[in-house]
Amino acid sequence: MTDRQIQIVIDSFWPLLKAGLMYTLPLAIASFVLGLIVAVLTALARTSGIRILDFIAQFYVWIIRGTPLLVQLFIIFYGLPSVGIILPPFVAALIGFTLSVGAYGSEIVRAAIQSIPKGQWEAAYSIGMTRGQALKRVILPQAARVSVPPLSNSFISLVKDTSLASVITYIEMFRQSQQIVARTYEALVLYTEAAVIYLMFTSVLFVLQGWLEKRLSRFSAQ
Amino acid sequence: MLEIRNLHKAFGSLEVLKGIDVDLEKGKVLVIIGPSGSGKTTLLRCMNLLELPDQGSMKLSDRKLEFKSGRKLPTREVTELRKRTGMVFQSYNLFPHKTVIENIMEGPVIVQKKDRAAARAHAQELLTKVGLADRGDYYPHQLSGGQQQRVGIARAMAMEPDVLLFDEPTSALDPELVGEVLRVIKQLAQEGRTMVIVTHEMKFAADVADHVILMDGGYIIEQGPPQQVINNPQSPRAQQFMNRIAGEDI
Ligand SMILES: Nc1ncnc2c1ncn2[C@@H]1O[C@H](COP(=O)(O)OP(=O)(O)OP(=O)(O)O)[C@@H](O)[C@H]1O
Ligand SMILES: [Mg+2]
Repeated sequence: MTDRQIQIVIDSFWPLLKAGLMYTLPLAIASFVLGLIVAVLTALARTSGIRILDFIAQFYVWIIRGTPLLVQLFIIFYGLPSVGIILPPFVAALIGFTLSVGAYGSEIVRAAIQSIPKGQWEAAYSIGMTRGQALKRVILPQAARVSVPPLSNSFISLVKDTSLASVITYIEMFRQSQQIVARTYEALVLYTEAAVIYLMFTSVLFVLQGWLEKRLSRFSAQ
Repeated sequence: MLEIRNLHKAFGSLEVLKGIDVDLEKGKVLVIIGPSGSGKTTLLRCMNLLELPDQGSMKLSDRKLEFKSGRKLPTREVTELRKRTGMVFQSYNLFPHKTVIENIMEGPVIVQKKDRAAARAHAQELLTKVGLADRGDYYPHQLSGGQQQRVGIARAMAMEPDVLLFDEPTSALDPELVGEVLRVIKQLAQEGRTMVIVTHEMKFAADVADHVILMDGGYIIEQGPPQQVINNPQSPRAQQFMNRIAGEDI
């Protein structure tokens, strides 16, 4: 590397890290939290035994899983204005990622609910619980534990996928690096630097994931 | 106390219960025996509506239910009845994410809306009764099968049900752990709890039962006091079953 390149790496490190901390992670965290709520509601709809709810939930999951996230983001950000819905980039990205987490997450949560032995429902019913009480007190807490490993994978993917928001002008870390490249023409250096910062983020998450799984496995041994 | 008339239950085209009558007085123990697939578990599960019968009626204490196929019961009726019955499962079905004492408190606190402190005190009493006074803060997976099943019994009793239902409570246990569970159940019988027990343990049945029902093919083929049904059955089918059981016992 030339001295100039080294200087660019040093000068851009903090702006990139800052973009990651202030724009990439908040978008990932906010859409993950909202997405989880959507995911649980969708999973409940799909396991409710109520035909119309199940149908709506299935339709939603079908659309989201069957179309590219990038195209969804384009529709929300560039498409909706033509019917009068103009959303700021952050909101558009938040909606897109939330819907995505909701759809994929609902499959995880649904599988987790279905993995809880029937005897747990029956034990809950046998002490007089309603379906809602059984879900809240017995089934979902156990399903949550089962869902942790796959959901933490989803979150790690999401952190990386937020780079897609750059195409709808949300200035997260990747878009920030693009802007610096536009000024300096150092594509290899800067995109590699961005990759390294993503790797820093995800590595911390890998460690957290391992720790969380270890903690949870202590309780779920049947 | 418990009065069942003409109970029918089918799974699809498979008729499992073909008109069962049961009468059980308060404080008595009813033991149900019979070959595998004869409908014992199904009958027991109908008693707390884990299975919804297709036909017949059931009266428990002051509540009477009529069953018609294709008609669902209101949720309230179902939960009210379940609060009056306690179920002990073959595979315990304890809540693995809750401690032993939380397992026992769950029904009283969440369903009966009892005060937590009162529920805890009662749960502790029950734990003492089943010989696990010092295990309240353990998680189920830290206990042996016999201990887990005794927690299962305490959990069922915590609701102070009118009748306790047991489905082969010892058949998932290692032989050396069977005794401790049977002793607890026997003690409950001596205290005058009303119980319905499905079991393959004939010695235990003879010991604890006031009344024995022998089921086969969805019918009750013989019933009466244990000496009669177990030791001196009348019908040829009943004799055959008892002989086979006796053969297995050796
Ligand atoms: N949920 C179900 N769906 C379909 N068939 C069922 C269901 N539950 C039970 N059966 C069938 O009903 C019949 C009676 O079953 P049940 O479990 O009541 O017998 P059991 O007398 O308890 O037998 P075992 O001694 O083996 O426990 C069996 O043929 C069984 O396969
Ligand atoms: Mg059975």
